[in-house]
Amino acid sequence: MLNYIWAGLIIVSLVFALASDVTDLVQDTYRNDAPLPVRVEFDRPFDAEAPRQPARLVIDSTAFQTFYGVGEGAPEAAYDARVRRTESGALELVLADADAPLPAPLDVIRDATNPDEGILQGELVGLQLAPDRAAAEGGLRFLPVRFVKVGAITAAAIEFAEVAVTIAIGLIGVLVLFLGLSRIAEDAGIIHALVKVVRPVLGPLFPEIPKDHPAMGMIALNMAANMFGLGNAATPFGIKAMEEMQELNPEPDTATNSMAMFLAINTASVQLIPPVTLIAIIGLETNNVYFPILFTTAGSLAIAIVATKLLQRLPRYRATDPVRLGDDAAPTTDAA
Amino acid sequence: MDVFREFISVASVFVLPAMIVGIPLYGLFKKVPVYESFVEGGKEGFGLAVRIIPYLVAILFAIGMFRASGAMEALASFLSPVLALIGMPAEVLPMAIVRPLTGSGSVAIVADLAARFGESSMITRMASTMFGSTETTFYVIAVYFGAVNVSKTRHALPAGLIADVSAMLLAVWMCLLFFGG
Repeated sequence: MLNYIWAGLIIVSLVFALASDVTDLVQDTYRNDAPLPVRVEFDRPFDAEAPRQPARLVIDSTAFQTFYGVGEGAPEAAYDARVRRTESGALELVLADADAPLPAPLDVIRDATNPDEGILQGELVGLQLAPDRAAAEGGLRFLPVRFVKVGAITAAAIEFAEVAVTIAIGLIGVLVLFLGLSRIAEDAGIIHALVKVVRPVLGPLFPEIPKDHPAMGMIALNMAANMFGLGNAATPFGIKAMEEMQELNPEPDTATNSMAMFLAINTASVQLIPPVTLIAIIGLETNNVYFPILFTTAGSLAIAIVATKLLQRLPRYRATDPVRLGDDAAPTTDAA
Repeated sequence: MDVFREFISVASVFVLPAMIVGIPLYGLFKKVPVYESFVEGGKEGFGLAVRIIPYLVAILFAIGMFRASGAMEALASFLSPVLALIGMPAEVLPMAIVRPLTGSGSVAIVADLAARFGESSMITRMASTMFGSTETTFYVIAVYFGAVNVSKTRHALPAGLIADVSAMLLAVWMCLLFFGG
C-alpha cells in the first residue's frame, strides 16, 4: 500500500501542478509581456546618462487590480527601487528591498523571474517624463512567467530531500544518548524487570514476541516516553524496539505483525501531556482541549489495535506474514 | 480530573531526569561498567541515523511535492460537502489531511487557524485536538521501518491510517461534545 500512496503523491502532484499552470497560461494570470502601468518618482531629476539612480516605484491599487483582474490585494504606497541602464540600453527597475511585501501575483512573478535573489525587477517601457523630470509614467514589463507550479514541485522535492537529511543528522545526538542509556538499562537488568511487569498487558498485543524478550521492554519504554510527551526519548526506544523485533523476523525486508501493531499504536499516539508545540501555539487554551485530546487518543488507540488485529487476518496480509504463526487465531480456511 | 492532570504534568517534568540519572545510578549499583555500556550502546546511533536517510528522503520529498502542488486545497474544497454531514467545519479539513503527512505543516495550520479564528474558536479547538491526538504517521513509518531496513510494510500503513481517520472523527465529536455545537 505504501508503494501506491507514495507513487500516488508524486503523480497527483505533477497532475495538479500541470493543471494549475495550464490554467494560468490560458487565463493569462501573469499578463506575460504586457506592461503594468506604474509611476516612477526620482530623488533627483532623471538623468538619461546615469548608469543607476535611486527611485521610488508607485503602483496604483485600482490600476493594479484591473490589470491583473484580481479583486483584492493592494501594493504598498511606494517601493524603494533603483533604475539602471542595461548594456542594451533598456531601462531596468529593481526593487531595493527583497522583503518588501508584494500582493499576489507580483510575489509569484518575483520568485519565478528572479529565484536567486528574490527581488522584483522588470523593464521600464514607454516612459513619459514629467516636465520637471522628477517623475515618470510608464509600464513595467516583467520576464514571462510560465509553469510556476511545475517549477515549485521540483524545487520542493529537492528542498525536502535536504530537509530529510537534516532531520536524520539532527537525530544522531538524541539517538546516541538514549541508545547508550538503554544499553545500561539492559546490562543492569532493568529492561528484563520491565518486561515482566508489562508482559500481562502487552503480551496479547504482541503474541509473536517470546516471553521475557527485551523487545517488550523497549516497546514499554517507547510507550511510556510517548505518554509523557517525550518525543525525543520515544524515537530511540522505538527504533530499539524495532531492532529487537527485527531479530525475531525470518524475512528482514518484510514487516511482522508485531511491527505493524507497534507502528499502529505509535501513530495513535497516547499522550498524557499535550505536546509542547501545541502549548507554544495556543497557550492556555491547551488546558481546555486536554480532555478532548485524551479521549480522542484513547479511542483511536483502541481502534488502531482492533484494526491491526483484523487487517492481519486478511488473506493478502496473512500470505505475506514472515512468521506464519503470527495470527493468534488457528488457521481456518486456507487449505480449502 | 484536575488532580490527575496536575499529577501528570508534574510527573512528566521528572521522567526524563529520572531516566538520565536513575539508569546509570542503578547500573552502578548493579556493578555494570556504566561508561563502557553507554558508549557501546550509543555507537549504533550514527549508523542508525544514516540508515534512515533514504527512507526519510523518499517519504519527505513526495510529501513536499504534494504540498507544493496545491492538490491539498483542491482536495479540501472537493471534500467539504461530505464534511458538513459529520459536523466538521471545512476549515479544519487541511489539518486532517496534513497531520499524517507532516508535523511542521500541521503546526503551521494550527497557528494559522488560531490567528484567523481565535484560540478559543471551535475550529481551532478541533484542529488542536487533531494535532494533539495523532502522529505524523508517514514520518514514523519512514523512521521506524527505515531503522531496520524493512521496505515491505504490509498492513502497517493501512492500520496507521485507520487510526488517523478515527482520531480525526473522534476529535470532531469530542469537541462538539465538550464545547457544544
